[in-house]
Amino acid sequence: MSPELEQCPRSLLVCEKGNFKNEKSRHESQALKHSFNCRISLLIPECGRLPVMLEKVLSNFSSYFHVQDFPVSTFLEEKWLDAVKKGGFYALSSKTRIDEDNVVAVLPSGQLILSLDKDTYEQLGLEGRPSQYSHRKTVRHIVTVDLKSLVLGTKKYQRVLLCLKERVPLKTDFLFTAAGGAVSLLDLLSKQLYEECRPALHCRTLQDLLCPSLIPSDLKGESGSVTPTQFLEWLGAVSLSISCDNQATSFLSTYACPEPQSSVSQALLCTVTGLISPQDVCKLLTEIRRYLDEPKLTSWVSLTVHGCADSPVSWGSAEHGFHKGGENFYNFVCFQNQDYWLHMATGAKDACPP
Amino acid sequence: MEKKPTPYERVVCKNTSLYHYMKINLVFDSRNKSLSAEQFKQLIITGLKDLYGEVGAAFPFDVLTFNQTELSAILRVYHSSLVKLWSAITLIGSYESVSCAFRVTQVSPFLLALSGNSREMEVF
Amino acid sequence: MSVFMDLNITAGTDKAKLQSTIETAAHLGYSTVAINYVVEGQKKKQLIPTPQPLAELFETFPTVQGKSRPIKVLNRLTVVATDASHFRPTNEYKNFDLLAVHPKTDKLFHAACMNYDVDIICISATEPQSFHFKRSPVNGAIERGVFFEISYSAGIRDPTMKKYTITNAVNLISVCKGKNVIVASGAEAPLNLRGPYDIANLGLIFGLSEGDSKAAVSTNCRSVVLHGETRGTALGIIHTMKRPQLPTEQPEEEIPAAKKAKTDDGSLIV
Repeated sequence: MSPELEQCPRSLLVCEKGNFKNEKSRHESQALKHSFNCRISLLIPECGRLPVMLEKVLSNFSSYFHVQDFPVSTFLEEKWLDAVKKGGFYALSSKTRIDEDNVVAVLPSGQLILSLDKDTYEQLGLEGRPSQYSHRKTVRHIVTVDLKSLVLGTKKYQRVLLCLKERVPLKTDFLFTAAGGAVSLLDLLSKQLYEECRPALHCRTLQDLLCPSLIPSDLKGESGSVTPTQFLEWLGAVSLSISCDNQATSFLSTYACPEPQSSVSQALLCTVTGLISPQDVCKLLTEIRRYLDEPKLTSWVSLTVHGCADSPVSWGSAEHGFHKGGENFYNFVCFQNQDYWLHMATGAKDACPP
Repeated sequence: MEKKPTPYERVVCKNTSLYHYMKINLVFDSRNKSLSAEQFKQLIITGLKDLYGEVGAAFPFDVLTFNQTELSAILRVYHSSLVKLWSAITLIGSYESVSCAFRVTQVSPFLLALSGNSREMEVF
Repeated sequence: MSVFMDLNITAGTDKAKLQSTIETAAHLGYSTVAINYVVEGQKKKQLIPTPQPLAELFETFPTVQGKSRPIKVLNRLTVVATDASHFRPTNEYKNFDLLAVHPKTDKLFHAACMNYDVDIICISATEPQSFHFKRSPVNGAIERGVFFEISYSAGIRDPTMKKYTITNAVNLISVCKGKNVIVASGAEAPLNLRGPYDIANLGLIFGLSEGDSKAAVSTNCRSVVLHGETRGTALGIIHTMKRPQLPTEQPEEEIPAAKKAKTDDGSLIV
C-alpha cells in the first residue's frame, strides 16, 4: 500500500511549564494573544459544586453581540474607529468559513484582517499578501488594515473607504465583544439590529472518576508519569463522557485512563460557550490560582480554551487556516504550588504557537 | 508541595498524536434502523474489508462512544490508518441491504478538540 | 480554497428526490451544485432535454450549512459519445451552464481533450476504461482549461463499480499528475452524497495529493464554473464585466501599503 496513505497533515503541540509567580512568566500574554475563543471548560477534581468565587467570575463574562449583514465599511466610521483605538475590542465574522469564504476580524491591536477569496481580493484593490496556506495557485489573500493609524479624511482613509464601500461593499454576519469596559458596544450598535448573547454556563458533576496522577515538575512524563499527549487525550475523554475503564481485549474500545492513576470520588466539569474575550479568560485564571491558594483535596485544576475554527488568526496575528480541521486550543493545568503547565495545540494550517 | 518553583521549560512536539479521532454518525433514508454498538463497529470493519481486504479488516480502531438513538460515535484510530478508515467509511453505502451513509462531523489529532468545535455551535 | 461544489447531481425524473438530494448537498456544506442532464448519443433521435426552470424546483433555496446564504444551483448537460456524430454543439447546448462530454473511445477522448468546446470530460465509473489515458491529449485538455471528472456515487451503490471507479481514477491521475481533476457525486439520491471533507480524503486513495484533493471539490470546480461562463464568449479568454471605477488612483499610496504588508509578514514569523 502506498506510503502516502499512511501520512497525515501535521499537527503541533507546544508544552510549557512555569510558575505563575515568576516575573517573566508569559502565561497572561499568551492567553491574551489568543483573540477568538468559542468555549472554555474547567475541570476541578474533588469538587462537587462550583465554588462561589469562580461562579462569580464565570457569570460575569462579558456579553457578546450578534449582528446580521454588518457592512465592513462601518468600522471606518468615526465612532467605530474611536472605539477600536480604545482597545479591548473584538470582532469576528460569523457563518463564514476560513477555507471557503471571506472572513473578517478586528483584533484588539486595531488590525482589521480581511481573509479574502480570489474574486473579492481582485475587485477590492487593497494590497494584501497571499495566504501562507495556498496550494498550486494563490486563491486567498490576507489584507491587513491598521485601523489605529487610520486618520479620517486622509488619502489613505479615503482609499480604504472607497474600496470597502464602493468597490466591494462587503457585508457579513458578525460577533462582537469588548473587554475592559472602555468600549460600550451597546452605544456602538445603537443603530444596528443586534442580538445580545450571554455566554452559556453548563456544569456537570462526575462521580468516581479515574484521574492520571500529575507531577508538576514532570511536564514531559519522563519519570513514569503521563505524557502531555496522554493527559490531553484523557481530558478530552472526560469532556466527552468517554468510558476510561476498558480491557485491552475489549471489542469496542481499548481506551483506558493512563497510568499512574488514582480514583477521585467526584469532579466538576464546567463549560462556558460563546465568544469569550481573552481578558475574561485571564480573570478566570487568576481566580483559579486564588482557589488553589487555600488547602484543597485536589492538587490541580485544568482550564481548556477552545479557539474558533474559522478565525483568520490563532495567536497574535499569525494566520490560521482550516485543512480538515481548524483546531487551535490551549490548556492550563494549575497546580497548588502556583506551578503551571500550558499546552497549546494547532492543526495543519497554523504557525507555531508563541 | 515543592520548595522552589520549577524552572521554565518549553517543548515543541510535531505530530505528537499517535491517534486521530473522528466524530461520525450513521444516517438511513427515513426511519433509523436499530443498531447495537457492536453491529455499528462490525459495519465499519466490513467496509474496511471491502476496500482493503483482510489487512484492512484487521486495522485496530476504537469506538470510544456510541449513542444508539443518534447512531453517532467517536472513533479513535492510529494516525497511519486514518486515511484508510475514513475512505472506507465514506464508501459504505448500505447496511443489511438498506441504503445508508456515514456523516463525518469532525476529524482531529486531538480528542480534546472534539469537545469545542465552533462549527457545531449555532452562533459561530 | 474556494467554496465547495458538487457539479454532478443526477437530474432523474423524480422531482422530490432531486429536491431532497439538493437539500442534503446544502446540509453537507456544498455552496454550489449542478443538476446533470445526460443524453446518450447512441440512442437514435434522443432529444436534448431542456433544463427544468430552477424556480420550479424551490421557492426558497435551502441554506448552506454553517452559512447564511442559499445554495446556488446550475444546470449541466453531459453528452455520452460513442461516435463522433454524437457531439454536435447546437443552440440547445446553450441552455446549460456547464457542458460535459463522456467519450467512450480513444479517438473521441482525444478529440474531446484537444478540440471539443466543453468544460468537463467524464471518466467512467461504471465500467473498465476501454482505452489508455495518453499524456498528450490529457496535457492538451489541461492547457485548454478543460477538467476531468471522477464521480464517486456509483462506487457507493455497487462494489464492482467501486473497483472501476478507483482503477480508472488512479489511471487518470497518474497521467494528469493531479492537475485539472474534479470529484463530483453523480448522486441519484441523498444517501449517495458525501461531505466535501470526506471527498477530499477519498481523493487521496485515487492518488491525489492533500492539496489537489481538496482543490478537486473547491478551487477546480470554481475554474470549471468560470470556464462555463466564458465558453462561447470570445473563445473563453476575454470576459469583460462592468465594475466601479476608482477615481482617486494614487500610485504613491501603493508603496507604503506594500511595505507595510511586508513588515506584517516579517513579524508573523517568530
